[in-house]
Amino acid sequence: MSQRWSNLLVWAGTIAFIVLVSKAAWAGNPVNGTSLTNLVVLALPVAGIIAMSATGLVVVYTTTGVFNFAQGAIGMFLAYVDWELTVAHGLPQAVALPLVVLVIAPLLGIGLDRAIMRHLQGKQLVVQLMVTVGLLFAFVGLANMIWNQNNAHSMPQLFAGKGFHIGDVLLTWHRFITIMVAVALAIGLRILLVRTRIGIAMRAVVDNRDLAALEGARSSVLSSFAWALGCSVAALAGILIAPETADMSTTTLTFLILTAFAAAVVGRLRSLPLTYLGAIILALATQWMASFLRFSDRWTNVPDALPTIMLFIVLLLLPRAEVQFARIGQIRRVERVSSVRDTAIGLAAFVAFMAILTLFLSSSDPTNTNRLALGMCTALLALSLVPLTGWAGQVSLAPLAFAGIGAVAYTRLGGAHGSVWAVFLAALVTIPVGALFAFPAMRLQGLYLALATLAFAAMVEEVFYTQPFAVGPGERPVARLHLLGIDFSSPKSFLILVTVVFGLCGVGVVALRRSPFGRRLVALRDSEAASVTVGVNILETKLAVFALSAGIAGFAGAFYAMSFGTLNNAQGFQMIAGLPVVLALVIGGVGFVAGALFAGVFGFVTLFVQDNWHISLWIALFYLAPGLAVLGIIQNPSGAVVPIGEGFARLLPWRKDAKQEYEEMTAAAAEPEVGELGLERPFAESDVLLVDRELGISNDVPRPVAAARSS
Amino acid sequence: MGLLEIDEVSVQFGGLLAVDDASISVPEGCVTGLIGPNGAGKTTLFNVITGLQAPSGGRVRLDGADITRRRPYRRARLGIARTFQRLEAFGSLTARENVLVALEMRRRWAKSRYDSGKIAAELLERVGAAQVADKRVDSLPTGSARLVELARALATDPKVLLLDEPSSGLDEQETDALGVLLHELTADGLAVLLVEHDMPLVMEACTHISVLDFGRIIAEGTPAEIQADPSVQRAYLGTAKSAS
Amino acid sequence: MTSMQAVPTPDATDDEVPILQLAAVRAGYGRIDVLHGIDLELRAGEVFALLGPNGAGKSTTLAVCSGQITPSTGGMFLCGRDVTGVAPDALARAGVCLIPEGRGIFPNLNVLENLRMATFTGHSFSQVLDLAFAQFPRLGERRKQTAGTLSGGEQQMLSMARALATEPAVLLIDELSMGLAPIIVEELYEHVRRIAASGLSILIVEQFAHEILGLADRAGIMLHGRLLHTGPPASIADELADAYLGAEHETPAAHPSQ
Ligand SMILES: Nc1ncnc2c1ncn2[C@@H]1O[C@H](COP(=O)(O)OP(=O)(O)OP(=O)(O)O)[C@@H](O)[C@H]1O
Ligand SMILES: Nc1ncnc2c1ncn2[C@@H]1O[C@H](COP(=O)(O)OP(=O)(O)OP(=O)(O)O)[C@@H](O)[C@H]1O
Ligand SMILES: [Mg+2]
Ligand SMILES: [Mg+2]
Repeated sequence: MSQRWSNLLVWAGTIAFIVLVSKAAWAGNPVNGTSLTNLVVLALPVAGIIAMSATGLVVVYTTTGVFNFAQGAIGMFLAYVDWELTVAHGLPQAVALPLVVLVIAPLLGIGLDRAIMRHLQGKQLVVQLMVTVGLLFAFVGLANMIWNQNNAHSMPQLFAGKGFHIGDVLLTWHRFITIMVAVALAIGLRILLVRTRIGIAMRAVVDNRDLAALEGARSSVLSSFAWALGCSVAALAGILIAPETADMSTTTLTFLILTAFAAAVVGRLRSLPLTYLGAIILALATQWMASFLRFSDRWTNVPDALPTIMLFIVLLLLPRAEVQFARIGQIRRVERVSSVRDTAIGLAAFVAFMAILTLFLSSSDPTNTNRLALGMCTALLALSLVPLTGWAGQVSLAPLAFAGIGAVAYTRLGGAHGSVWAVFLAALVTIPVGALFAFPAMRLQGLYLALATLAFAAMVEEVFYTQPFAVGPGERPVARLHLLGIDFSSPKSFLILVTVVFGLCGVGVVALRRSPFGRRLVALRDSEAASVTVGVNILETKLAVFALSAGIAGFAGAFYAMSFGTLNNAQGFQMIAGLPVVLALVIGGVGFVAGALFAGVFGFVTLFVQDNWHISLWIALFYLAPGLAVLGIIQNPSGAVVPIGEGFARLLPWRKDAKQEYEEMTAAAAEPEVGELGLERPFAESDVLLVDRELGISNDVPRPVAAARSS
Repeated sequence: MGLLEIDEVSVQFGGLLAVDDASISVPEGCVTGLIGPNGAGKTTLFNVITGLQAPSGGRVRLDGADITRRRPYRRARLGIARTFQRLEAFGSLTARENVLVALEMRRRWAKSRYDSGKIAAELLERVGAAQVADKRVDSLPTGSARLVELARALATDPKVLLLDEPSSGLDEQETDALGVLLHELTADGLAVLLVEHDMPLVMEACTHISVLDFGRIIAEGTPAEIQADPSVQRAYLGTAKSAS
Repeated sequence: MTSMQAVPTPDATDDEVPILQLAAVRAGYGRIDVLHGIDLELRAGEVFALLGPNGAGKSTTLAVCSGQITPSTGGMFLCGRDVTGVAPDALARAGVCLIPEGRGIFPNLNVLENLRMATFTGHSFSQVLDLAFAQFPRLGERRKQTAGTLSGGEQQMLSMARALATEPAVLLIDELSMGLAPIIVEELYEHVRRIAASGLSILIVEQFAHEILGLADRAGIMLHGRLLHTGPPASIADELADAYLGAEHETPAAHPSQ
């Protein structure tokens, strides 16, 4: 379908959607001059807030190449620091704000860069994204630990809420300043990034880091500067936005960033003016909904889904991604494709291990058994991403949404009494859903595709489960499987069942990688241009792998449902809950079945810690996720299972070659990464002068050629 | 009437006319040369032929059938294969797997079954990359990676082979071997369109040469005619350079 | 901080300190060595041509010289100063300029922005522009074009422009002629000859010997990660044919000719 037609279709669809929704949910308030003026005046500050958040995203993306999920969380954290200084310690805002924005935030940025961010350059997209997701959780956890969320926090507006009137509406100075700051930032950043050398150099480092070094740019200084800048913008946004939220809830402030995604994408993550246009449209739409529409029952959550619906629409309007050529400085990956036999042996051993383990689990208190079973469900879910993200390089952040659809399908199609067919129906239902989603989404590439999946997950969360045909308001019972006359309803038998299912799927997935289809996926990831010129149909191949992944996720969803025992509309399948699954898989190794297993273990440990240490999930994740994410991912961007596997394989008699193979593998993936070897030595100006003197060049004519030319 | 006919193709990038009414005919069984200064539009023309770039005017015909609007993978299946000026290998696969990907695509629409492993080995042997068959391609030096790319292109069993500067990154030995390989391939009836800046190779291998400058064909003829053409010397060859 | 360090005295033939010297360098990727003990010296103001077949390790040698790869053993000296392990950006600012093979541009920046990046070594932007556009008028016509959409040869020109515009002390060039039209190559060699005459030291890597040998003061042949012969171009030309045949020269030790 040509670009023009598909755009027309999206536009027509959007307009029809708006008209239909407006008609269906019309609240009956009069539309006249006053109410419309009010709408605009109310929308402007909201637009300012969204624009501020989005600015941070755009700046960080442009200067570091990383799409920072944690941008909101960093802003939140620094807003709390500001709160601590002003409200708790009585410092005037005129001192605290510059202190936070110009000193503390840049220091935090530099620290982040040194410890984590600079190691992300040139890594796979999913690794970059997940590290920032890990940071997001870390900052929320940290803030919750320091500032007890059971106490109310609030930050006063600047100028104590005074302002001026436009029509009936009061525009406070605070909001006015927010808008002005946003505009000033847009202008200032544009000049910085396009006109100044440091701005150009930051973009250059994103483009071709090695070359930037060869041209004499200090890439470590540049990336520190970029993150310092990003944190400053985040702090500014956080501090200006905090008074606008009810009680400075850490999560509200953090996840406000999701609202900003749509605006940032309108600007294609480059242009701030367009980003602000997006912010204004989004704010107007939000206010329109709030003022004139009313949603109830099955549609209650629609207003919450608005930003993601808009994100989805905007993504669909992006120009079709062109066939990708392999990029300069292509990402190198460590990938060992184990043989089907080795995988089968390994997974059989794992099943046996699990079976033995059940003997030691308490029969009277099945809590741990249930947690283990849930962990195995997570492993199965993570497995769905191995072909899609690990091999085909397509990042999906919506595995849990597909699992949710699978869970619903299982429950509604016979799972209520444990029918075996329902499990397969769950997979069969999600496959077309996955394909249906993938069909328009396949025009997107990389990050945009990842964001589309995120939007999809949010939409499923807000509008799918509440439907009567899905889950509806009440609870629905789910039964565990009856298979071959065996009833798997006891916790232990169920655990064994899920483990066996995981094992079978794992072997299947490895067999797939060894097949022509698997090779084709990797080829597609490495160079789309080359793939089409040997006859690979990109669309078909991507659709197939997306549908496959959705199918496995739906399959996993059925087991999730069995594991839960009942299904209600607020249970376990939220978009946000899906991110840790992806994160855990990335820590383990996104291209490995063992990585999926790792994700399962991670899930189990999280549950265990959460329940036994009596701390919230956030804090559990704070301890686990970012710590492991940072240490693990930075050390082994290809996954923790790579060195683990190497250590383990060496013990096996038939894998004598393991060590050598590992060395070759890491050598192939090693980039001559400079400066990080700990060998970097200063080569100061004085040394340069010395070199010049040795060359017999006088100080006023610094280079030999210049000397020759000027004569 | 050539096997591949490029008929008054134009390509516009914004205000820039990168290819301007270029017509080239590529007959089977010989090597047709396409030379021209940097930025003349040679690679763009390759992209038009393989469908990676839509032309703003003109037609591309294969075997008499109009393929101008065919999608790239369809053209590949119809028998157009190419290599890339800036390497486009499947970096994280081994050389053998690179070739296998292409072979397996072909198998999907071929009538008879065959042993792709054996053919892959033969192809790698033929282009002279047999020693690196089991190495990951992104760890190979440029030259070897280019040979792997060539083997991959041959693996699709093409009728027309488009080579975009195949000799860059090859050493002298390998370049000579490439010349020999081109002769063998055309003897089997393949049509080859060769873009190359290495004049000795071009003059030796081609039976017919077209010269592109600023998107237009400025000269056509046998190697001898091209070398003698003053406009070509001025635009492209320079003075010192002449075929050996 | 870096202490002045005496050079392990090289050949006794001349007492001049070489501007760039590799001493018994072993280096490679990950834990696998590609270079097995390279001794190479580049004297001030000379053009040294490094020749050798595909995969011999020429690009790797240049990566070592530019600081991108740190030798696992052995050392690198700049004007007699030990610069082993110095970061590439520091070396660049000290006047070592590498034009890498094939990937010498920032694809998402436009031509002007690419050239702006060349100002880190101390030249003013206008100076860089003047020199670059004088040498490659073609680039002047494409100022605002995104570098990634330039033709292959135009990209190579952009990459070369940096070398010509920043006037480094040591110029390392990897496969200069790759992808360029003969007429441009001819011009470029002419330019290299000119700047060489002005006293700059150049280490140039090529696959094809003929043109480059006419321009070099000395040349070396590399094979399997070893520098087999060094000497005046005339003496090298004879050895070259054998080297490409490879097999006879599996001899492990490097034998620098005197
Ligand atoms: N996407 C694009 N946008 C704008 N200009 C482009 C684009 N792609 C190519 N060009 C321009 O079109 C012209 C032709 O480019 P092309 O790559 O076809 O040249 P070429 O003949 O292959 O040259 P070379 O021998 O240097 O590879 C060049 O001037 C290039 O800058
Ligand atoms: N990133 C890498 N990882 C592992 N091995 C590599 C890597 N890059 C190069 N090699 C290996 O190092 C050896 C030398 O490569 P190098 O690129 O230095 O050769 P070269 O002489 O420049 O060849 P060419 O003329 O083809 O550019 C080759 O055997 C190659 O396989
Ligand atoms: Mg080209
Ligand atoms: Mg090389």
